[in-house]
Amino acid sequence: MTYAYLFKYIIIGDTGVGKSCLLLQFTDKRFQPVHDLTIGVEFGARMVNIDGKQIKLQIWDTAGQESFRSITRSYYRGAAGALLVYDITRRETFNHLTSWLEDARQHSSSNMVIMLIGNKSDLESRRDVKREEGEAFAREHGLIFMETSAKTACNVEEAFINTAKEIYRKIQQGLFDVHNEANGIKIGPQQSISTSLGPSASQQNCRDLGSDAGCC
Amino acid sequence: MKRGYDPKPALGGAGEEGTCEMGHGRQKRPLFPAYPKGRPGRLQRHLLSGEFDQLRDFPIFESNFVQVTRFGEVANKVTMGVAASSPALELPDLLLLAGPAKENGRLQLLGLFPLQFVQLFVHDECRRQLKVKFRTGRAFYLQLRAPPETRDREFGQWVRLLYRLHFHSAEGAVPFTQEYALEDDGEEEDDDDDDDDEESRMEVRLDPQASELWGL
Repeated sequence: MTYAYLFKYIIIGDTGVGKSCLLLQFTDKRFQPVHDLTIGVEFGARMVNIDGKQIKLQIWDTAGQESFRSITRSYYRGAAGALLVYDITRRETFNHLTSWLEDARQHSSSNMVIMLIGNKSDLESRRDVKREEGEAFAREHGLIFMETSAKTACNVEEAFINTAKEIYRKIQQGLFDVHNEANGIKIGPQQSISTSLGPSASQQNCRDLGSDAGCC
Repeated sequence: MKRGYDPKPALGGAGEEGTCEMGHGRQKRPLFPAYPKGRPGRLQRHLLSGEFDQLRDFPIFESNFVQVTRFGEVANKVTMGVAASSPALELPDLLLLAGPAKENGRLQLLGLFPLQFVQLFVHDECRRQLKVKFRTGRAFYLQLRAPPETRDREFGQWVRLLYRLHFHSAEGAVPFTQEYALEDDGEEEDDDDDDDDEESRMEVRLDPQASELWGL
């Protein structure tokens, strides 16, 4: 299937926060309560439509366990978007965000769009990290923020799609050089800039969409 | 742009020779040719197609398999390859798994795993079956799918590869070996009921449509 752009995403964050479950929910629309540890990288892909353009998301789901950390770093390169995930019921996964963010900033393009995700929002009774804390962290570090539930699918679509919208907006603004492979963006087969990026494309502000949308 | 395929032996040292006792007796030939069939395989061509810049230049040794159950029932098609993430490496350091996409049957990359976290075994030499076991305990069985005239030779290359990897493995762990050299005696005996539950529990399907393994 043809597409205007391909965006490479990485999903990062502590082990057990639900990275693989978010991917499964997004690509297969299902939830798997028990999931084995990810080692290396597992891949997913899905087409989304942004502003009338077909965009293929190529998603690299990485291992979160500390012992795989050095290997995970090598996969950041060439990512256009990152989903940085923590578990709202486990404070330590939130505390480790700074370290993940440092890795992401250090090993990827400075233009990479980072979506901070507080996952497991269905477990409100066990909440250990306030939504406002996630919002503050995102604000402080220039990230988009959403709370999601891979279990109920709440905000999962929005998290992936809003990240794509922000990347697309940066392309329109000329912040992303789509010909530079290091930016994690590829022009689709038989596409050219003039056809893949029309002058009438709107410039939505995804940050607004991202932080306010959804059911969580 | 540099392309990733090279008809010369790519891994294990160009021009290096070894022997193989599979099928037609001992023969001298390059120990680790990049392509069992002498041309880029499906997986290599997929990576060269342009969606995986980061993996494009990896030399890959690959074969087509069918996933089988422990008792030999055929499940689904899998392409497995080993790759070196750097041309400076003497031996491959990555395992790549791919399978047909559910929507169009085209090959899609499912996962990329550092070989240090994977064990490869000869499961059944007569049926040309390998066992792939992750450090997490998950395992699956692959039976080589190749034309009758090249089947023995190709499986022999895999066997020699496993041995080479075994002998080059890091001290301590023994990641690559004939299974009986590492596992308890009789683990692979089909009539050993005591092991069946554990083996069945850990055996996973590589079906990308219902994968417990890849989270897709």
